[in-house]
Amino acid sequence: MSPRVDEPLVEQRAVGDLSLLPTVTFGSRSLMWWGTLGFMVIEGWTLALIVAMYFYLRQNYDAWPPLHTPAPGIAVATWNLAVMLVSCVPAFLAARAGKRLDRGAARIWVTVLALFGLATVILRWYELWALNVRWDTNAYGTAAWTIVGVHATLLLLDVADTIGLSLFYWIGRSPVKMLSDTNDNSFYWYFTVGVWIPLYVIVYLGPRLFG
Amino acid sequence: MTDPVRPLPDAPGVAPGPAAAPSPPPPLLDADALARDAERLEAVWRGPRGFWGWLTSVDHKSIGKRYIVTAFLMFLAGGIEAAMMRAQLSGPLRGLIGPDRYNQIFTTHGSTMMFLFAVPMMNAMGLYFVPLMVGARNVAFPRLNAFGYYTYLVGVVFLYVSLFVNTGPDAGWTSYVPLAGPEFSPGHRVDVWAQLVTFTEIAALAAAVNIIVTTFKLRAPGMSLNRIPIFVWSQLVVSFMIVFAMPAVATASTIQLAADRAVGTQWFNPATGGDALLWQHIFWFFGHPEVYIVFLPALGFVTPIVETFARRRVFGYTAIVLANITTGFFAFGLWVHHMFATPIPELGQSLFTAASMVIAIPTGVQIFCWIATLFLGRSRMTTAMLFVLGFLFTFVNGGITGVMLASVAFDKQVHDTFFVVAHLHYVLLGGAVLPLFAGFYFWFPKITGRMLSETLGAWHFWLFTIGVNVTFFPMHILGLQGMPRRIYTYLPETGWGGLNLLASAGAVVIAVSVILFLINVWVSWTAGAVAGPNPWASSGLDWATASPPPVYNFVHPVVVEGRHPLWDTVGPLAVLTGLRTDRREELITTTFDALPDHRHQSPRHSIWPLYLALCMGVVWIGSMFSPWFVLGGFALSLLGLLGWGWQGSRASGPELVATPHDLVEAS
Repeated sequence: MSPRVDEPLVEQRAVGDLSLLPTVTFGSRSLMWWGTLGFMVIEGWTLALIVAMYFYLRQNYDAWPPLHTPAPGIAVATWNLAVMLVSCVPAFLAARAGKRLDRGAARIWVTVLALFGLATVILRWYELWALNVRWDTNAYGTAAWTIVGVHATLLLLDVADTIGLSLFYWIGRSPVKMLSDTNDNSFYWYFTVGVWIPLYVIVYLGPRLFG
Repeated sequence: MTDPVRPLPDAPGVAPGPAAAPSPPPPLLDADALARDAERLEAVWRGPRGFWGWLTSVDHKSIGKRYIVTAFLMFLAGGIEAAMMRAQLSGPLRGLIGPDRYNQIFTTHGSTMMFLFAVPMMNAMGLYFVPLMVGARNVAFPRLNAFGYYTYLVGVVFLYVSLFVNTGPDAGWTSYVPLAGPEFSPGHRVDVWAQLVTFTEIAALAAAVNIIVTTFKLRAPGMSLNRIPIFVWSQLVVSFMIVFAMPAVATASTIQLAADRAVGTQWFNPATGGDALLWQHIFWFFGHPEVYIVFLPALGFVTPIVETFARRRVFGYTAIVLANITTGFFAFGLWVHHMFATPIPELGQSLFTAASMVIAIPTGVQIFCWIATLFLGRSRMTTAMLFVLGFLFTFVNGGITGVMLASVAFDKQVHDTFFVVAHLHYVLLGGAVLPLFAGFYFWFPKITGRMLSETLGAWHFWLFTIGVNVTFFPMHILGLQGMPRRIYTYLPETGWGGLNLLASAGAVVIAVSVILFLINVWVSWTAGAVAGPNPWASSGLDWATASPPPVYNFVHPVVVEGRHPLWDTVGPLAVLTGLRTDRREELITTTFDALPDHRHQSPRHSIWPLYLALCMGVVWIGSMFSPWFVLGGFALSLLGLLGWGWQGSRASGPELVATPHDLVEAS
């Protein structure tokens, strides 16, 4: 139905040549970094809104956790926080190997990071039950479960991403573009860990320290 | 790293110094060479043919067209629902539609128009035109773009199938709790609403990230921030608004309302410490910016149309851009004016009243800039311009009732009456739909290569604008007389029959005008006058390529030397050559100055976006029935994520790598 107009368009003159520009870049020069940043903003903002709701519901109570609701256990959560913080080391080493174009090292550190990720996901399961309240008991339980649960889905996504990346390294030839992706994967991991620190303080320490 | 762009006489962003000796202008590109490059690009950027090619396409124009057509079909569906309501309300005690069905129809009408027509349509126009206007070959994340569209499509099908099996949502497009909660809305009707919202929010977020990164990184060389077209500015501001508004409603609908209904969370149950007003806060924290998310892109359509037909650069570029950004910020500070009938502290009421009035100022600034442009230019009256003038008149009326509603005392009087219905339709039809039709008349030639009929267009305009005013103006008076919204009938003693009949007559006029538009589209698409690349002698890069644009958009990236590339450039268009023609390569530029930075390999066609959207459908729709669907859907989507990642990690051909330390060749 559409007419194809193949007439020569406006006349063009070449004022420069792009053929020597790089094709793979790292960090904020690459598109994937920007996409990652976009999703970090969306996810960080979602968590911020949920934290706001947590404190909004806090106003409905005199005590926090409410009467007859035990405070959350902090042992598993603290261990998991430690695991997450330590996992930033392989994340950093993977990113550094990527930027040095060292495929062998990148492959190993991404795999180590994936294993750390799996450990945090397993610990997260126990962490949820250490809240000592069910999600349907009261609004406090709902809000606490939602904060930990929503962060758990980010963790799961990130770990799945890291496992996928390490799989690609082990099977088949890995193109250099993957080294840049490795850098962005670590960038996203720092975010997932970093955003958990205030959430850990709010959900696990808060009720004990400030009631 | 040395700058690999060879020194050039007109290198973008480099002002020629006084010492620079004038060099002879570079030669014109050979027409045969251009044609050969175009042929190679066509082969590389065009995906497989046939149905498979259609399903796997990641071209922003192909996806954009589907988005526009689907969203317009939703406009028609919402319009049919509106016509049914107007038929029922045309006189007292009409028995055409019962209360239960009426609830489903008005809820579906509102949800369709807001979630399935307005926002997707504005996103669609952005996804189609932003890459063309910034001189790019595709959006930054083509597969994410396709995924967003299919997610939206799943939501569309889901809502309408539900409606036809008598499970249409029935708690209003705002789904206030406790009415929408598990106690007062058993069954799956409200679940349909909650999941529908999730689909469209994911689609909107995907579009927003795409538009932001496309605008920041894929601009033509030389298109520094202060040269971005105003259409693109408005899309950029709205995309940022989506990033901050949509998570609120996605949280409210999925994590709160759906979870309260499905797994017994206690967000909104006061008996266990929950709070029903929390819903209103979160919903309107999204819902008010939503109005501007619909309306700012429409203002973005107006500027290029006014410029083109006033034959003059827009008056006050900087003021318009700043007004856009200011509106974007203020939009997040007004949501409580939807809640004046709830217990809000007096100081809060005053603050939100003031904020609601202040936001009229930046919009006023834009309107005065257009009036100044029209005044200083030599206007040519076309259908697109008629719609712009109709917009100015109708929208200003809606804006004025908005300022009236910002006053708490007045708002309490007319809360939940037809006055509010009148106001919101003046704002949305006047502020979004009229500019949208202007945009259709303006850009239809670009999308299809053919002109719409101006005669039919004028008829469409007059009937539509008159119809809108005849339908919605009487509703102000009905509201002042006390007629509540969302009622399926009323008694003869109320005396509301006459004005309601008038409003229904107006609805018939609107319907006739929209049918005329459909005829116009059909006739013009098949047999309209051939448009050529730039039928309106407009100034943007979207007009620097054929109509319809080839799949790769531009043979070579165009160098931009001002805000109006086609008006600023005297003589041949300056371009940069050297992008490969044997793979999908595009130019990435720096964020602020748009200097050439690197070449990026754009992904090939892919089935994974469709597959993943269907997996999300299993997750969200299945979650209404059993949590196992959620687990199953996520398990299925892992396969899709792996396929997606695998495809993305493959690169073809030699690479030139810029590490933070070095520039090396690799393969």
